[in-house]
Amino acid sequence: MSTDTQTAPRPTWLGLPPLAVGLLVVVLASAYAWLFLHAESQVVVLVLLAVAALAAVVGGRTGADRVLATAMSQHSRAMNGAIVAGLLAVIALFATDHFPLLMLTTVLLYMTAALGLNIQFGYAGMVNFAGAAFFGIGAYTAAVMTTQTGLPPLLILILGGVMAALIGFVLVIPVVRTRGHYAAVVTIAFSVLFKTFLEVNDILGGPQGLMVDSMKILGWDFNASPVLFGVEMSFYLNYALLGAALAVLAFVFTRRLERSWVGLTLDAVRLDDTASACFGIGITRAKVLAFTLGNVMVGMAGALYGMMISFIAPTSFTFSDSLLLVAIVLLGGMGSPWGTALAAFIVIVLPEKLQIIQEYRFLLFSVLVIAMLLFRPDGLLPRTVRAYIPGWRAKP
Amino acid sequence: MDIGLLGQYLANGIILGTMYALVAVGFTLFFGVLDVIKFSHGDVLMLGAFTGFTAFLGLEFVGVTDPWVQVLVVTLVAVAGTAFIGAVIARYLVLPLKAAPPLNILLITLMLGTAIREAVRLFYPNGSNPKPFPALLPDASTDLGNFTLRADSVILVAVGLAVIVGLHLLINRTRLGLAIRAVAQDEETARIMGINYTMIVLVTFAIGSGAAAFAGIMNGLYYNEINFGMGLLLGLIGFSAAIVGGLGNLYGAILGGFLFAALQTIGAVALPFASAYKDVFAFGVVIAVMAWKPTGLIAERTSDRV
Amino acid sequence: MTRPTTDAVLEIDALSKTFGGVTALDAFTMSVRRGDIVGLLGPNGSGKTTSFNAVTGIFPPSGGTVRFDGADITGLSPQKVYAAGIARTFQRSRLCLPLSIFDNIMIGNHGRLTKGLWFNLMRRRAFRREFEQGYEDARALVRTFSTALADRLFEPVGALPMIERRRIEICRALISRPRLLLLDEPSAGMTHDETTQLMDDILDVRGRIEGLSIIIIEHEMGVIERITDQCVVLNYGRKICEGPYAHIAADPEVQRAYLGAE
Repeated sequence: MSTDTQTAPRPTWLGLPPLAVGLLVVVLASAYAWLFLHAESQVVVLVLLAVAALAAVVGGRTGADRVLATAMSQHSRAMNGAIVAGLLAVIALFATDHFPLLMLTTVLLYMTAALGLNIQFGYAGMVNFAGAAFFGIGAYTAAVMTTQTGLPPLLILILGGVMAALIGFVLVIPVVRTRGHYAAVVTIAFSVLFKTFLEVNDILGGPQGLMVDSMKILGWDFNASPVLFGVEMSFYLNYALLGAALAVLAFVFTRRLERSWVGLTLDAVRLDDTASACFGIGITRAKVLAFTLGNVMVGMAGALYGMMISFIAPTSFTFSDSLLLVAIVLLGGMGSPWGTALAAFIVIVLPEKLQIIQEYRFLLFSVLVIAMLLFRPDGLLPRTVRAYIPGWRAKP
Repeated sequence: MDIGLLGQYLANGIILGTMYALVAVGFTLFFGVLDVIKFSHGDVLMLGAFTGFTAFLGLEFVGVTDPWVQVLVVTLVAVAGTAFIGAVIARYLVLPLKAAPPLNILLITLMLGTAIREAVRLFYPNGSNPKPFPALLPDASTDLGNFTLRADSVILVAVGLAVIVGLHLLINRTRLGLAIRAVAQDEETARIMGINYTMIVLVTFAIGSGAAAFAGIMNGLYYNEINFGMGLLLGLIGFSAAIVGGLGNLYGAILGGFLFAALQTIGAVALPFASAYKDVFAFGVVIAVMAWKPTGLIAERTSDRV
Repeated sequence: MTRPTTDAVLEIDALSKTFGGVTALDAFTMSVRRGDIVGLLGPNGSGKTTSFNAVTGIFPPSGGTVRFDGADITGLSPQKVYAAGIARTFQRSRLCLPLSIFDNIMIGNHGRLTKGLWFNLMRRRAFRREFEQGYEDARALVRTFSTALADRLFEPVGALPMIERRRIEICRALISRPRLLLLDEPSAGMTHDETTQLMDDILDVRGRIEGLSIIIIEHEMGVIERITDQCVVLNYGRKICEGPYAHIAADPEVQRAYLGAE
């Protein structure tokens, strides 16, 4: 994207200006998400997948993707608003259905966690193979605190993130001191250590796991089905709304971080730490910051996830689950928050919907990531050059 | 604790250490020639064990029942087959990414490991259940007080150590080893000296993977059971051992392997908490070692040119 | 600022660096006067880059002292050396290729950016002002090298040819307004014409920035002759000669060690 966009002709698609194209895409994408979550028959799911693939190809060929990108950067406020509205509309359409809402909320929480990993991995270059462990720390914190203390669950949600960050501090010394492969072994070792610890520790329920009490805000119990306009809604509606709020918050946070000097510093540390040091950048400070912020987000997502599914066990937080989180970041595109959102949807919803691949999902996603790394290493929605202020143009 | 029980733990620790060292040697070889981590190594090991198991079933089927012949054929088939797979992985997944960030290779091989693991679970007949690995070695034993010295353990350790020594001689005393070391030192110069670079890389991956298959067979013979998930932990332990020892250093890998086995044994025996915490303890120590010596106990040569 | 312009800005005294048993830099002594361009010469492996690395804190020297503007900066971290007012470029260009020109230059400006998380995330209006200021500064600086480049500040560096990358690297070093600039073989990998252009730029920059001193590592003798006020020649980590170009070019030891060999 160049600064002299005012002189360049504004791109259009089918004669439509960028904002119109952008809004159209949001409407279509929301409708698609609704249809996809709604689809029961395998044939319909397969047809929908084909439609998505076709739309991606046609959109790419006809230049719709570039017009969309223009809309995202020039009209970011309107576009972001439209996307949130689209998300809320989809949630509202499923207000009485348990399963689609559970899936959608899971997507939102995995997206939040993967955004946290994105800060660590995509920006600061610190690959964290213990994502599921930090997710689990949040969930176990929620389990212990909702059942053993009288703290308000909203505070516990935050404490889940704080606890993940605190335990992350134990790892921070080896992670920051080591580089590349050596740092990888630290997080992998922690991932295995964490799950083994949970399995052998009787206080935390051992292999059977723990109960988690529900989210409650000012007497509003999330596990009770709300009644709106005389209709009984799914209790997952509560979690979907809170999950959406958390995901939006995480997204805005990640975006603003990227579009700031802090994000620039993290990029510099990832790309060349020696040169960064020669320009005064504190490498340790940057890495500790990225690792901690990321873990807070992963931990909070885990805490809410625990409250939602109300029962957690060590098998949900294995090394394979950590790899799945890393796969989301890679598939979406490192450092690309929208890519993370899209990949979270694909990785979570696709196996649930396409039962023939349910059993094969780990195999499928690992092969998909291998292909992605070989042929499209920048991911589905590659990150673009940083625009600090969306829509900003230089004064002539 | 009496001396016999101590001996039992010691023997167990030595067997584990030999296995871990064999896995770690692979990691170190790959890192030496290509500066990459091939994380699928543990799952390649599992594949080796399953290849051996399949060979055993085949032998039974054709009526070869002599255990010595069986163990020999099983080992040879597993080592050769896995060595071939290792070379294929190097050729099609690792070499193409040589210019990419090193992390990408770690990631691609991590995913490959998952793919191998899942493929065995899904496609090997009844692959999600553990398989009873036959006890092909003589089960004679001598009682020394409380300590039972089993013949199969002695054979496993002796052959395992022989393989490690053999690898050491191969790397340090042969022309092939010289070529491998030359490539590890300086790829460009090695090429100019007329060394077939790609071939050496493939051979190195074959050797490392063969060693892993050997460790896989050892594991099967020792525990009399193999399963699709066995490679993950063994690979991780081998990786940790190679890292703790210092990547790219053969002695570091061996040291790391035995160190990890010692940690597990100490974790199981000598520490006040339950023996179930032995892996938690061992990995905790690995993390602590990394904090203390960020490039391993035997430091890796650094090559960051400014 | 009553100091006369001939004052030494950098004084390196008996600086040594050994790697294992190898002595890369052996009791190296030199000084740079304010406003001078000093050429650092020597065959490959003679310790030129090592001296830059030891001065900028990439690794601590094994012995000797470095004084900058009268203050002892021996063995300080790279961050502190940068804060003291020394900026550098690298032999093998070390720009962040996926990032934009602007991003790369702002990395060099790190010392003057507000780094607090709260400021960066929540005070977006103030951040915008700082961003716009940074943009103006970067644009003005790049413009001194190339007006065309100044209009493309938000394009990734990886797409640019080598000479533009070198210019951006120099901008990245200059944006923090250092008093000493270390240029490590800025002409490496460029054609003769490009080198000439770049050297014009460097002379131009020196003329614009009051009191800026430069040490430049360079192989091409024509370049050295044209732009330097003083030269220092290294061989096997030892200084073998120093003085104006005419003096070192006539020195028999230099001819033996360097000119003859190249």
